[in-house]
Amino acid sequence: MTDRHTPVWADDPGLRNDAHDPSYGQGQQGQGQQGQWPGEQSQDPSWSYEQQYAHQAYPAAQQREVTDSGSWRFDGRTSSYTDQRTYDTFAPYDPYATYTETEPAPTPAPVVPEPEPERPGYVLPPIQESSWAVDTGRSRLLGRLVLLCVLLIQAGLSLRLSGTAFEDEALYVLAGHYEIGNILHGTPVPGDFEGYFSGYPKLYPVLAAMVDSVAGLAGVRIVSLMFMLGATSLLYAMTRRMFDARAAIGAAALFSVVQSTVFLGNFATFDAAAVFFLALSAWIVVRTGRAPIVAVVLAAPPAILAFAIKYAAGLYLPTLVVLAVLTAYRHRGLRAPARGVLLGGAMGALLGAGYLFAGSLGGISQTTTNRAKGADTAAQLLQHSAEWGGLMFLTAVGGSLAYAIRPHMGEMPWLEQVGPGRFRRIALGVLLCGTALLAPAYQIHLQTEVSLFKHVGFGLLFAGPMAGLGISRLVGPHFRHPQLGIMLYVLTLVFGMVQAQQNYSFPDSREMTAVLRPMVDRKGTYLAEEHEVPAYYLRDVTGYAQWQGTFGMDYMDKKGKRYSGPEAYGAAVKDAKFDVIVLRGTVTPDVDTAVTDALRGNAHYRLAAVTRFTTSKGDGAYRIWVKR
Amino acid sequence: MTFPPRTARALRPVRMIAAVLLASALLAGCTTFSGKGRDEYDRAQGEQPGTESPGEASESAKPEPPYDVRPLLQPAKKYLGVAADGAPAKMTSVEDFAKRGGKKPNLIEFYSAWGDQYEAGLVQKTWDYGALAFIAWEPFDASLKDIASGKQDEYIRSYAKSVKALNLPVAISFAHEMNGFWYPWGTKKATAAQFTAAYKHIHDLFDDEGATQVIWVWSPNVVNPMPKVQLKAYWPGDDYADWIGVIGYYAATGPSTYKTLYGPTMSQIRSFTKKPFIIAETAAQAGERKPADIKDLFEGTAKRDDVVGLVWFNFDKETDWRVNSGPLSQKAFREQAADPSFGFDVTKP
Repeated sequence: MTDRHTPVWADDPGLRNDAHDPSYGQGQQGQGQQGQWPGEQSQDPSWSYEQQYAHQAYPAAQQREVTDSGSWRFDGRTSSYTDQRTYDTFAPYDPYATYTETEPAPTPAPVVPEPEPERPGYVLPPIQESSWAVDTGRSRLLGRLVLLCVLLIQAGLSLRLSGTAFEDEALYVLAGHYEIGNILHGTPVPGDFEGYFSGYPKLYPVLAAMVDSVAGLAGVRIVSLMFMLGATSLLYAMTRRMFDARAAIGAAALFSVVQSTVFLGNFATFDAAAVFFLALSAWIVVRTGRAPIVAVVLAAPPAILAFAIKYAAGLYLPTLVVLAVLTAYRHRGLRAPARGVLLGGAMGALLGAGYLFAGSLGGISQTTTNRAKGADTAAQLLQHSAEWGGLMFLTAVGGSLAYAIRPHMGEMPWLEQVGPGRFRRIALGVLLCGTALLAPAYQIHLQTEVSLFKHVGFGLLFAGPMAGLGISRLVGPHFRHPQLGIMLYVLTLVFGMVQAQQNYSFPDSREMTAVLRPMVDRKGTYLAEEHEVPAYYLRDVTGYAQWQGTFGMDYMDKKGKRYSGPEAYGAAVKDAKFDVIVLRGTVTPDVDTAVTDALRGNAHYRLAAVTRFTTSKGDGAYRIWVKR
Repeated sequence: MTFPPRTARALRPVRMIAAVLLASALLAGCTTFSGKGRDEYDRAQGEQPGTESPGEASESAKPEPPYDVRPLLQPAKKYLGVAADGAPAKMTSVEDFAKRGGKKPNLIEFYSAWGDQYEAGLVQKTWDYGALAFIAWEPFDASLKDIASGKQDEYIRSYAKSVKALNLPVAISFAHEMNGFWYPWGTKKATAAQFTAAYKHIHDLFDDEGATQVIWVWSPNVVNPMPKVQLKAYWPGDDYADWIGVIGYYAATGPSTYKTLYGPTMSQIRSFTKKPFIIAETAAQAGERKPADIKDLFEGTAKRDDVVGLVWFNFDKETDWRVNSGPLSQKAFREQAADPSFGFDVTKP
């Protein structure tokens, strides 16, 4: 006797039908002859185990017995064969199992040896679980409803931020107006926008300017909100495709409330559009994971568009290529890398075409690859990155670890647990979490914190699916700990909301532009720190070329002496070259000092107004000097 | 009741992950929700840190742009100013002056002692009358040294804030006749360096507060009584003064022509600055020469493009300086003031 358990039904007399299940007790000595083995064998006194075994292995037509559901049945007495412990229907070698069949099978046709295909033509994707059931239409609907709530909260968080145009917003929208003029009428563009923009000036700025002429800056910011809501939705779709609806909700929920998302959702710059197109590209990569590998080429145009809109998005193109390899679910061996190569090749081809079309862009090196080195320390950058995206990143790491250990939570143990192999799971976690570190790492290399709070969000978009998985694992199978997930979401929301408010704090320029308005005309020359802001708001009465910023200029005085840097500003102010001077005091301290020094004892200028503002960094004031 | 062993095992990593997340969140929260972080949040909300409710006034009512005084600095026509008894608190003396002189003055000078609040009401009243207020700010109660060293900053700032809040142009002459010996801020009690330091300090504080509505007047006495005092040492600089308010009277004795009375002072000043002059206090002593003096004053002022006007000291103090001291004087004044180059609407320069 063995120590194994007896199947439940074995003791249930209702299930034991002697007529249909004559094998019960068959093995016991002395009852063998009463047992009703089908066919003449039961009558055969020379019956032996070997013969029975032979029947089991090759059930002959005349030995079949008809039952309700054709199957094998076990009496569960002696065999220690492991398959009996499961409730499986397959146990070909159990000597005590009886084969039953619903109806007598027709005489087996002569077996035509059919060549077995190497691989199946199409393998159905693993069924996504949703608690006790597989994902159904209902769970999809529920997921979308939750996504809608997530998007509403995201919109609310973004829209509660307010303020006058930030320097970059003003510059891009204003540049867009000139670019439209250039495209439509060929009017020259004032300033070498292509030389220092961090994105191609004929893309986003043109869109922004078109919206601006209809709905003003608020409208342009709404467009950004749409982009960010779109990015959240695409993240949801992508994660649902990669994992399941719960992970998708988690990913969308966390991504929608981190400070970068909240901030960019009300910020009229390249960033929101770039994030959206990166998300679109990533979604296409994942969406075409089971399609023929050529389909991945579809992901190349949005990826390159994202890069063209904001060059910094190029940092994430390799991630998309590797993602294409890792999400090639149907393809193993060399065809998976081929998918990546195909995507990479398509991107390269588009880039080449873009290069031929647009020519070399100085802006890429100046604003992205070769940005002026700053003096921010690595520790400071790391600390701030951790504050801005640490929670979501940690969740993503947790999700990656959990994913590496088990591909599923095993909520339905009877389901066949198929999923990507361990290598793919680990690689996916490393890729997506690693991508979140790209921007901080790169900016640590550049030693500058400029825009880092925005760039953190680009990486978090990619870490999103893993974070979603992390939150779903944290909640646990069958929503065991929903409070943990809610806690994490609320915590991220509070951080995101507060940090976005702290970062979204620009000087209120309304009073400044109101003071300047009667002082400016189409002829004057104006020096302004963050000159883009007054140039944008006063674009109806001045031209962009009339405004001189404080980021650098060359100047030659009347005697022919050349100056550059802060000295140039000092000399120009002494010579009363500018009709109006506006300083706010913190953006370019060196030039500010040079200008205020030059204004000291300067009979040409008179302080016209001091307009105060408050930002999260402290109080400040625009000081406006005019020629007497 | 017992839990299946798998459940108990599965709980542990979940708790661990939760604990790690919470710990790291608190770590990150150290700065976001620190005192500094909360201040930043408050400020970003447009509130001052520490205050409970947002400043309603600063939120809702955006102040209008500061008054641009530049058109008043060197107007096409000249100021006809007056300093009269009780004005501008009571306008009767000014109206009397206007009636007798035949022309409405467009500048009214009055005196403000150190420690007085900015007379916003008087400046408003003057403006409503159609004249620019000219305040002679007399530091009787504070030494120039103290003012320069910052001991009076609180008072100066509150004065500047009032100026900014009223947002009307005002001419301010601080410590006038500093080159004379008779005032406590004069040559006997203070040095030129102290004067310029105090003057610049006040000006800087006004600039800092954004009180740009001030026309800064640097107001020396004519050099004739104390020719040894060099004015250049008292000059604060071109960026600190808008007008040079020369003070000089046609007295019974002493110089009695425009050229001799103001000439030496003006030529000395022209050696270091090109700022416009205004005769900040003048009058003629009652006497036979008075009509001639009046004529000389108006003609001399009209002739010089760099003199933006004059202020008649219409008091009967020590001697009768008033225009109506005699019928001939009044007639002469009427005739001279009728000159179209005198008087204009300061509210629409």
